[in-house]
Amino acid sequence: MTLDDARRALAAEEIHLPDAARAREVSGVVATDLMSDLLTADRVGCLVLTALASDQAVRTADLVGAAGVIVVNGKPLPAGMVELARELGMPLLRCRRPMFESCAALARAAGR
Amino acid sequence: MAVLPLPADQIPLVLQDLLFRLKVRDVMTRDLITVRRTDTMRYARALMKTHGITGLPVAEQDRLYGIVSMDDVITVLELQRLDDPVEAHMTERVVVLEDDMPLAFGASYFDKYRFGRFPVLDRNGRLCGILTSRDISASLLIELYKEYARLEARVPAPAPRRTPGERLRFTVRRYDFENAGRAAHEIKKALTARGLPPELVRRVAIAAYEMEMNLVVHSVGGVLEAHIEDGLAEITATDEGPGIADVELALQDGFSTANDWVRSLGFGAGMGLGNIRRVADDFSIRSAPGQGTHLRAAVRWPPADTPPPASTTTGAEPPR
Repeated sequence: MTLDDARRALAAEEIHLPDAARAREVSGVVATDLMSDLLTADRVGCLVLTALASDQAVRTADLVGAAGVIVVNGKPLPAGMVELARELGMPLLRCRRPMFESCAALARAAGR
Repeated sequence: MAVLPLPADQIPLVLQDLLFRLKVRDVMTRDLITVRRTDTMRYARALMKTHGITGLPVAEQDRLYGIVSMDDVITVLELQRLDDPVEAHMTERVVVLEDDMPLAFGASYFDKYRFGRFPVLDRNGRLCGILTSRDISASLLIELYKEYARLEARVPAPAPRRTPGERLRFTVRRYDFENAGRAAHEIKKALTARGLPPELVRRVAIAAYEMEMNLVVHSVGGVLEAHIEDGLAEITATDEGPGIADVELALQDGFSTANDWVRSLGFGAGMGLGNIRRVADDFSIRSAPGQGTHLRAAVRWPPADTPPPASTTTGAEPPR
């Protein structure tokens, strides 16, 4: 699944999605609100699904080498978070669906 | 607590200069919330409540007629006269400031009259703003930040040491979530710039980030240092307190002393120390309550082969 496939499956809004990143293949999905989980997940190139709308979600994703971040629940994103995503070149999207439904939609799209 | 204005000889020159350089108009609030003379006290009270303020100028078309304060509202409440017009209860003899007075003058009024706010008039006697003590302290703080930034810019940066190895040093402040992760990011950048494989960079970055977050969340603040040389990246975190009572316990996954507030930011799950130990080749921790904590984590890799003899080297290609 590419980042763009994930975006379509979730009807997610593009906050920062450079064209070059659209075709980026995601190695898996880590769904968590705990950055500690993400740091121990050991999944390079994963797509991060989180309800944590903060700078740290982007920063942590960058440090573990994630493919992108999707904020669920349609949460408002702080300006700093969007700015940081641009600065670090980390794709950032937002979808309205809650966490569980987002996971289910991604699993369906992946044919699981 | 000291009361403004401090005696002139107790104020640093920079501050004195600011107090005279800034005018009341530079500092005052321009977005005015006012009432008319015929508005009811009930309306005035609702307005104060909505906007969280304790006083309102009574004005019509920029002309100031008086001021009503929370004190007036309380009086009216006691008298049960909330439907009276504002003009029946307002203070008519209002102490005002002029917009081109120096801020020092404005500040002295708060001490002299003990009011919470002063309407500001322009040179034509029209109401153009209001000055509260909050306006003064906020503007002085902003100006002082600027002054500090100017002074800091004059301190020469230490010459970078780029000997075979590389050392990076970062000061990390307690609860500074806004900047948390920047040090780890810089360390990651430095490693990537050396052409190290991403998986290795990732392990060091995770260790550095966990250590940085520990300083932010648990310590009174401290220093994160990275020492990178061929075959070794060593990260140390040093703080001056409060120290860990039971290090063995703290190393167990899931043990955490973080508060709910920190947890709401996605941290403090009690995985940090264990995670550092997991990604690092060497790991050591030294800590005691009342003293600081010293954490060291290192990642090793086989050093690059020694470059071939000079005679066969044709370009400036770095060894891989």
